[in-house]
Amino acid sequence: MEAIASAHEAHHDHGDSHAHDHHSLSFVRKYIFSNDHKVIAKQFMTTTLFFFMVGGLAALLVRWQIAFPGEPVPFLGSLLPEAWGGSTGAIQPGFYSQLMTMHGAIMLFLVIIPMVNGMIGNFCIPLMIGTDDMALPTLNMFSFWLNIPAAMLLMGGFVLESGMATAGWTAYPPLSAIQGAGQTMWIVGLFLVGFASIMGGINYIATVLNKRAKGMSMFRMPMTIWALFITAVLITLGTPVLASALVMLFFDNFLHTSFFIPTNLLATSALDGTNHWSGGGQPLLFQHLFWFYSHPAVYIMILPSMGVVSDVMATFARKPIFGYKAMIFAIMGIGFLGFIVWGHHMFQSGMSPLLGTTFVLSTIVIAVPSAIKIFNWLGTLWGGSIRYTAAMMCAVAFVSMFIIGGLSGIFMASAAVDIYIHDTYFIVAHFHYVLFGASIFGVFSAIYYWFPKMYGKMLNEGWGRMHVIWSFIFFNLTFFPMHIIGVGGHMRRIADPTVYDFLKPFQGMNAFITWSAIGLGFTQFILLFNIIWNLNYGKKAPRNPWRSNTLEWAAPPHPGHGNFDTDITVYRGPYEYSHENRESDYWPQWVPPTEEEIEAEKLNPSHAH
Amino acid sequence: MFDWFKYFDFPAWFPENVSTFGAELDGMFILIWYICVAIFILTYALLIYFLIKYREKPGVRAIGYHGNNMLEFTWTILPTFLFAGLGIYTDSAWEKTKNVSHIPKPDVTIDVMGQQFNWVYRYPGADGILGRRAPEFKTNDNIFGVDPKDEHGKDDFIIETEMHLPINKNILVNLSAKDVLHSFFLPNFRVKQDALPGSWMKVWFNGTKAGKYEIACAELCGASHYNMRGLLYMHSLDDYNKWYDEQTKAKSEQLAQALGTTAPTADTTATPAVTAGGTTEHGK
Repeated sequence: MEAIASAHEAHHDHGDSHAHDHHSLSFVRKYIFSNDHKVIAKQFMTTTLFFFMVGGLAALLVRWQIAFPGEPVPFLGSLLPEAWGGSTGAIQPGFYSQLMTMHGAIMLFLVIIPMVNGMIGNFCIPLMIGTDDMALPTLNMFSFWLNIPAAMLLMGGFVLESGMATAGWTAYPPLSAIQGAGQTMWIVGLFLVGFASIMGGINYIATVLNKRAKGMSMFRMPMTIWALFITAVLITLGTPVLASALVMLFFDNFLHTSFFIPTNLLATSALDGTNHWSGGGQPLLFQHLFWFYSHPAVYIMILPSMGVVSDVMATFARKPIFGYKAMIFAIMGIGFLGFIVWGHHMFQSGMSPLLGTTFVLSTIVIAVPSAIKIFNWLGTLWGGSIRYTAAMMCAVAFVSMFIIGGLSGIFMASAAVDIYIHDTYFIVAHFHYVLFGASIFGVFSAIYYWFPKMYGKMLNEGWGRMHVIWSFIFFNLTFFPMHIIGVGGHMRRIADPTVYDFLKPFQGMNAFITWSAIGLGFTQFILLFNIIWNLNYGKKAPRNPWRSNTLEWAAPPHPGHGNFDTDITVYRGPYEYSHENRESDYWPQWVPPTEEEIEAEKLNPSHAH
Repeated sequence: MFDWFKYFDFPAWFPENVSTFGAELDGMFILIWYICVAIFILTYALLIYFLIKYREKPGVRAIGYHGNNMLEFTWTILPTFLFAGLGIYTDSAWEKTKNVSHIPKPDVTIDVMGQQFNWVYRYPGADGILGRRAPEFKTNDNIFGVDPKDEHGKDDFIIETEMHLPINKNILVNLSAKDVLHSFFLPNFRVKQDALPGSWMKVWFNGTKAGKYEIACAELCGASHYNMRGLLYMHSLDDYNKWYDEQTKAKSEQLAQALGTTAPTADTTATPAVTAGGTTEHGK
């Protein structure tokens, strides 16, 4: 049966039609410094899942301190050095700042962005457009390997007595400019992460534009590819701005220039004890540059997940995606508008209130394409025949959580309402709904959906559903109450809320959030176990286990370097599910139409693309 | 029985509002809240209905339907008008609270400086006028950067952590920071403004109820950020003037001691700091 042919055999049978022969490669070039986009995707998956655990642990320590300030951390407390854990193993305020900074920076820059772009992008782009590899495979390899020193620098303060960076993931100067060596290394590390990100972005654009299979026009590309393509454009345009901000911040921090330092700042550098900067700079400049990247980065983090969810929904509802072109234009709209809304992070920063009004309007306009996407997903479900696989449940979780995250965004989009809720847990709740509730569930969906193609083994659906359901429950128990304490005025990033009388009534809720977060953290071990167990003992995957239309399912399970064992020609769009002229409820892009089908199409023209 | 329902009633969780514009801002939150609840119920009802109705059933095939441009158009236009309307509607409150040209004539003007890790307040003293300040005069002994040559600055008095203000008066705060970013957050007054080193922001509010309120820092400013708590005592006008006179008297005695003479007490007690009619003895 061709479906269970392994990659190995496939290569023996059809290896002659492909330029690459992986047998001639050494172990190092094949599995470590590999040019193969699928190996790089797996490397991204491994590292991001590892950092997901590291960032999650930081989050749980942060939560422990907020809920039970001053109480020793269970199990881990005794391992903490004196400077971090004090004499009792309770998290010290300085260590709290480090953990909070690291949680944010790791989750955003080392988990979500590399997951949705590095992992999903690398795996899907060549396979879904029907080509053998990226346009620039060596650059692709560097874009992964640069992440390793970058991550080591980002967290480098771990080995220093002075500790890690403490200025938050946003690293606003002057605080970040007067911090010590951990912060300096963090800045350099983030610069390198950005560099790796740009390498990936350029590669994705080049690949999508140049390497599509015969017949794969732009408007026959699956939503995942469209989303990754627009994301790559955002990365390429936005990340250099972040890089420039980080270079200036590095100079301010390390060489005591004054890009962001005003005249006569009364502060002392923790790096070398100097208290002299020439002055004349403006701290707000950093915020403008930072958010000029970091707002599009919000879409960098979610657009690929949106694409994945669209594809997964179409597959498991056995329906064409509703409004394919509208969805693409919505993504383009988000991509463009994403660059003119950054000021909504700065309503209370001291930026001119007049500018605030402008950003309110642009921010409100960007809500529209998001709403369009929601309605189109609902339209996709309508009239479907929905199969509740783990991947589909993740996609549904994505849509439902994105609705809540989108709605809570309306509050802070209004500058007037933002005055009170700015920098409170309401904001924290909002972006966790979008980043975890939406982006990460999209990533889970991608893992459940493409794992059979990635490793040639099926994941356990029962465990998968269990993981999704419990993640969904614990996620909501963790982050929904954050809205409430946010409305109560609970500030972000405070190590001990009991200092404030007006926050004391929320301490019970804080404890509840922490226990739920611990539950959420431990639930992720189900996913990890599912992956590790089934890598070894999983059922062999058939070629097209989900009866899907897109090109990656034309490749053998666990394809070798070169991907396809047949020549790929694309005959139709990716969403011909339940086509009225066909008996089968799917019609893969690569299957040539039969004589009868051509005749039937003439007699009864469908509105297919 | 429906006790748990309160967790889904966000507006009930606000701390008490004691400022003149707070009710308007809260009202906007509540308006958006109701709109969101309506959208939530609509979309979730559809979502759940579709998920149940269109689950996989043997013999039932999905509809190969690609979309409808009229629907796309409708659900593009409707949210656009709804959201744009919201944005325009809430803009007036934004202008009123934050736009410098909309600040009402202040009855009390003070300087507030955020520093690691407390709030420092500078009052204008007996003459009712804050001394001139400039960045070049900023030192650790003179964190506000007051011009030592300016006579108006001589009687200014500085207090830390605890702030005192009168109710029913327009308060203007000149806000800055000494070292890093801070954010001046008065939860009960619905006031929040980042304090930027090197710049002076104007923040205004008008408190309606006497009492003790908390001041928080809402922008990460270092390890003890969580502990940067201030207190704001809102007094009736009489109580405030009494407190103010004590402070000015203490300051003039301190000045006099520094000069080696006795304080001319008559000066400071003669004029109340703020008059009942709301005239602006020391509104700059």
